[in-house]
Amino acid sequence: MNNRRMLNKTDFEDFVDSLLRAGITVIAPVRREQGGEKVEYRPIHSPAEIVLSGQPPVRPLKEVVFPPTEPLFNWKQTKASVQIEEVPTEFKETVVVGARPCDAAALEIVDKVMGWDYRDELWFGRRQAVTVLSLACPQSDDSCFCTAVGLSPESTRGADWFMSSVDGGFEIEILTPKGEKLLERCKDRCRETKGRTNAMPSLDAKVRANLNIDPGKVREWLEKHFDDPLWSDVALRCHGCGACAFVCPTCHCFDIVDELDGIGRGQRRRNWDACQPALFTLHGSGHNPRKDQTARFRQRIMHKFNIYPARFGEVLCTGCGRCIRACAAGMDLISILSEIDRKSAEEGA
Amino acid sequence: MNLYQPQLMRIEEIIEETGDTRTLKLQFENPSVAEQFDFKAGQFGEYSVFGAGECTFCIASSPTRKGYIEASFKEVGKVTRAMRRLNVGDTMGFRGPYGNHFPLDEMKGNNIVFISGGIGLAPVRCVIWNTLDLRDQFKDVTIIYGARSVADLVYKRELQGWAGRSDVKLYQCVDPGGETPDWKGEVCFVPSLVEKAAPSAKDSYAVVCGPPIVIRLTLPLLEKMGFAPERIYTTLENRMKCGLGKCGRCNVGPYYVCKDGPVFTSAQLKALPPEY
Repeated sequence: MNNRRMLNKTDFEDFVDSLLRAGITVIAPVRREQGGEKVEYRPIHSPAEIVLSGQPPVRPLKEVVFPPTEPLFNWKQTKASVQIEEVPTEFKETVVVGARPCDAAALEIVDKVMGWDYRDELWFGRRQAVTVLSLACPQSDDSCFCTAVGLSPESTRGADWFMSSVDGGFEIEILTPKGEKLLERCKDRCRETKGRTNAMPSLDAKVRANLNIDPGKVREWLEKHFDDPLWSDVALRCHGCGACAFVCPTCHCFDIVDELDGIGRGQRRRNWDACQPALFTLHGSGHNPRKDQTARFRQRIMHKFNIYPARFGEVLCTGCGRCIRACAAGMDLISILSEIDRKSAEEGA
Repeated sequence: MNLYQPQLMRIEEIIEETGDTRTLKLQFENPSVAEQFDFKAGQFGEYSVFGAGECTFCIASSPTRKGYIEASFKEVGKVTRAMRRLNVGDTMGFRGPYGNHFPLDEMKGNNIVFISGGIGLAPVRCVIWNTLDLRDQFKDVTIIYGARSVADLVYKRELQGWAGRSDVKLYQCVDPGGETPDWKGEVCFVPSLVEKAAPSAKDSYAVVCGPPIVIRLTLPLLEKMGFAPERIYTTLENRMKCGLGKCGRCNVGPYYVCKDGPVFTSAQLKALPPEY
């Protein structure tokens, strides 16, 4: 038995339906309410809701394993004594259908920071519960640059199944034990197949035309240019709103806060945070190590393209282009990276 | 129990250090946790008040004193304000110990010069007591400490104790204008006090902690006095949330201060961007 299967469209829908009937949470790209063509990853109730074509979902898959806000524990206080009630670290079985390759890859990249030395059980609990079926990217736009950061519209990274649209259905590559377990649920529906038929032309060349750089060269330049006029130039129009981080599949910074549930009861929660607002690093004394937007914007680029590679061996970016699409000020990572690439070539020459 | 869940600690004693600074003596509620708890000088923890949130402080007591830990803090924000409202017997949360530590073993057999300003004495005090509790393993111990005013000196009782010991050289100062009529110490800033004390760099280590300005002026001064940058230690106080190398906040250059620090040498700081 090889690891490739063919599943026709009706059988695929029956399979998704059977997952729903088995009580499994199925998350897929669906049309946003009153959002026109826009789609987002959401739990579905019927396979008919799934939208596998068009633009990438507005927000990445991150929130499926790392919710914008989540409880760390509950506490109750009676007089001076406090009782802590744990939150579960095991989660409900979830299948993501139609993840973009850039979103699936991000999960594996962030695994590294969540698992080094101390293991974040909440992240890995959800990672364990979630099976990811990614789909060869059906559509790119001029903000996409996955090929510039070592991925591609057909990257299988982070996927348990990799699906390609072919005439009449999907060709499926089973990639992990979790993927094999899921295959058990639709064994009688699919048939074995040989290699990819590639009915759909790859977007690779189109994405490559957006940005073609060597992340290694970018890193070398960053290593040497903490102080460079580039930083204040590009940061000048940044509002410091943090939208880029909230739509980023790999941004994982968070805050820890307490919330009261009435008198003597509450939760400690973690919430997404971002390095762009000034409060992120502000000390109690009033001292702020990253005192202006130039420093904060540089940190974002440094962390993704120098610090993370130094520590974890790869860039903290999958080239999904969401930060470019979301920015109200028109900050453009593609043009910043090509500028760095250009400067690096100039200095190298 | 996940990583972010704290151990419960009971406040055993509250010491008023200054008008806005307190030391809390804390004991673990769970005896088996207390039994197993161990840390090294320089490590920190996430202390919390339920309903207000978490805050990062070093452990200010020495690892040689078993059965309790101490935290010294100044009221500056939401959590420290809530901490100041707590009484003896109240419960707090604690996660830790986290981070690296001062290399006490490497320092043995050498002179140690402690330099600090204001509440910066808290992390240094941990190392001072650790050294004094193993006094015969170190050569000269010099303590150089200053605060804005006489009222702002922390650990006053301990300063008196150190002043009275023949095996400790103590130099104290307050900023000009901060002195009282009966103040016996110097009236100057901490870096000038270091120059006046003129500790020998031979076979010596320096441990420096204080506000950013004290660190910035003292490190080059010590190097001028002959201290090797690899033998000058300090702690960085970047804002932290998780303490576990995840939340991204304390990042300076390639380091996560919470994991690679908080203790760094002057040589390491030189290679860092000035984001601390």
